[in-house]
Amino acid sequence: MRFIECEKVSFSYSNDEVLAEKNIDFKRNVFAVDHIDFSAIEGEFIAILGHNGSGKSTLAKLINGIFKPSEGRVIVDGLISADDKNIWEIRKNVGMVFQNPDNQIVATVVEEDVAFGAENIGIESREIIERVKKSLAAVDMSEYSKTAPHLLSGGQKQRIAIAGILAMKPKCIILDEATAMLDPIGRKKIIDIIMRLNREEKITIILITHFMEEALFADKVFVMENGKIVMSGMPKDIFSEAERLKSLGLDLPAAAAIGYNLRKCGINVDRNIVYDEEFVDYVVKSIKSEAKDKEYSRVEKREIFNDKIIEVKNVSYIYNESSAFEKKAIKNVTIDIFKGEIVALIGKTGSGKSTLVQTLNGLIKPTDGEIFVNGRNIWEKGFKIKEVRKKVGIVFQYPEYQLFEETVFKDAMFGPLNMGFSEEEATLRVIKAFKAVGIGSELFEKSPFELSGGQKRRVAIAGVIAMEPEVLILDEPTAGLDPKGRDEILANIKNARSGFDMTVVMVSHSMEEVCGISDRVIVMNNGEVILSGECGEVFQNGEILRDSGISPPAVNVIFKKIIDRGVIVPHNIYTVSDAVDFFKERL
Amino acid sequence: MKVTIGQYYPVESVIHKIDPRMKILLLIIFIAGVFFSNNFLGYIVSALFLGVSIKLSKVPFIFIFRGLRGFLFIILFTVVINMFFIDSGKVLFEFYFFKLTSDGVWFSVQMICRLGFLTAASSLLTFTTSPIQLTHAIERILKPFSRIGVPAHDIAMMMTIAIRFIPTLLEEVEKIRKAQMARGADFDVKGIKNKAKAFIPLLVPLFVSAFRRADDLAMAMEARCYRGDVNRTTMYKLKLEKLDYFVLLFGFLFLAFIFFTIDKR
Repeated sequence: MRFIECEKVSFSYSNDEVLAEKNIDFKRNVFAVDHIDFSAIEGEFIAILGHNGSGKSTLAKLINGIFKPSEGRVIVDGLISADDKNIWEIRKNVGMVFQNPDNQIVATVVEEDVAFGAENIGIESREIIERVKKSLAAVDMSEYSKTAPHLLSGGQKQRIAIAGILAMKPKCIILDEATAMLDPIGRKKIIDIIMRLNREEKITIILITHFMEEALFADKVFVMENGKIVMSGMPKDIFSEAERLKSLGLDLPAAAAIGYNLRKCGINVDRNIVYDEEFVDYVVKSIKSEAKDKEYSRVEKREIFNDKIIEVKNVSYIYNESSAFEKKAIKNVTIDIFKGEIVALIGKTGSGKSTLVQTLNGLIKPTDGEIFVNGRNIWEKGFKIKEVRKKVGIVFQYPEYQLFEETVFKDAMFGPLNMGFSEEEATLRVIKAFKAVGIGSELFEKSPFELSGGQKRRVAIAGVIAMEPEVLILDEPTAGLDPKGRDEILANIKNARSGFDMTVVMVSHSMEEVCGISDRVIVMNNGEVILSGECGEVFQNGEILRDSGISPPAVNVIFKKIIDRGVIVPHNIYTVSDAVDFFKERL
Repeated sequence: MKVTIGQYYPVESVIHKIDPRMKILLLIIFIAGVFFSNNFLGYIVSALFLGVSIKLSKVPFIFIFRGLRGFLFIILFTVVINMFFIDSGKVLFEFYFFKLTSDGVWFSVQMICRLGFLTAASSLLTFTTSPIQLTHAIERILKPFSRIGVPAHDIAMMMTIAIRFIPTLLEEVEKIRKAQMARGADFDVKGIKNKAKAFIPLLVPLFVSAFRRADDLAMAMEARCYRGDVNRTTMYKLKLEKLDYFVLLFGFLFLAFIFFTIDKR
């Protein structure tokens, strides 16, 4: 039976602000969702892909009755959403998990929050207690029932949100980019949970995501663009259309990406190979010559960096020292940052990365140890801390939230002017910085709040680049962006290095990103630096990494699987381009 | 942390177990008693009543005293005013137009007791009652008044959300502050005008973010079928137990004692 049925559904935001926010830069009354036919069968697992502003979220909100269609109709479980008396029944049946974990928790105790939905639909007290217990167990959060939500991690908060929906006994759960703000561990846990709910409880799942590998597990995938569904089918049908996906601003999962790039080199890899296992099978069957050496040596040698620009010596930092909430965030950390390199700092949430980068420009003073920038101790008497901030710039996580000026240009001027540059000098620097991040002059006089998410972030980054620091630190610069946005930011970072001679320190959760861009990787766990070296060197320590909650890049996982099948291939390949390099002579 | 009033002290004790509504009622009874009392005996008994309650609650006395510190100024201010402006009774000390009288001193002692006991008892309530219990209690107490237009449920919901988002917004303030400092912002400037200007880069993003959160939260609540107090149930119903009636009895005994010992003038 068709559980959800959208017939020629359209929806338009009639409000300029919303249009800007959704990055729909067309004229007023354009359809965010444009005459869509969409249906789902009970128990299906559906993934919806599409870049930011393509209409995915709007469609989701039409399905659970938050929005009513401007044209067409939505029928959920036999109920028409346009009819006011059906609204509550539909919302009860179709639960929704939103992107920002913080902004959907209502109560101050976990179990009270889980109960919230059930209370709203008038379930009896004893039954609620029962349901809350079961729901928390279903998301493996039973032990946190009495905890205050603000003490939980992002992933745990999202699990609470799912539990809150389960307590209403829904038939369908929509996840609206619910994994976008989470670290890989948190994300995997959420995906595991929803797959289990789908399989065991037969709950229909609609997963809206920017992560292609999550869509691989779906029964059906829809791709949206400009409010229309432009592709639909099984994951295989979608990911075999590599060119099409690229033009829609989307990515490919690792196996499909390697296959696609090999095809471009003239090797006839079946385009239907999109899952890891299929690719492994294919390699095992058709590899012509195995590798002689287990070590893969890259053609181009990496640069070597010698001049220390930042030295961190035995630095520790304790939050809330000598109080009940005392917490050692970093312990005895000693690292050097060399001039000109791009260093990636990785580690799971709470491993101390963010604290460490904040000590580098004197935003927090280490409880113990010393920090040298260009050979000078930054906490030495008589040394102005502002000088350090001029040399070491930090772009915080979600930097778009710090924009405050009337115009984009004024906002970027804030940093350089504070650092004591003249108006003319600052103007020149800002223009140069905007160029580096690809913000055109047509946006200069706009309010920063009118821009799209990706644009805002680039403006914020430009605001720091404009101070022309010698070291640029970025805390998870690509978090929450769609694939196109991610690629743009990474390109910006490379530009900043080459165009401004900057040293870059980047905190990241994406191992693909880390191996693609960095010269060196530093791994942290429990406040300590546990590994440091080139990508290849670091990922050889599989066990240590697993204990610190870090999984290798997807490409590397494929190579490990090939090795497990008894074929000799290098174990130290981490990026699609290296993989293609290796295979193109051998398949 | 300087102000301890309003903080929950999570231990298990008899006082923690009392129904929050009963605790609010007891607080009112206690305050009434303290304010009616006008002799030394009354204050001794009140102090005993309060002291035993604090002891039973397992909240360290030092916490309660720290709570008082925040109100020290108000208490002292009232005392000083009263001390010098009451001119009945025996004159103890005179200096130009300042006149300290026996009534003035006695009145000041009373004031210290009343205000001191009041703040101590209120902080005991918040120390032993979690914010969520407190909001439930307030909702229930206000419920009868919803017929005459008091939005009991809405008030309670607003309180809950405020409590929920205080830590989140504090974290946010810290993050924005650091981010702007990294861009060279200086928050330690002199003068009100400069200070106001310096805080714009902090306040604008904070408000923008608070509004965004409010929007998101409203949508998330709607998606979870929230529509105010319509057809709504609660997970934990407040129920009065034997302990609560027992405690109430004590409260009335206390009040009766105070009434019988009032000095009639």
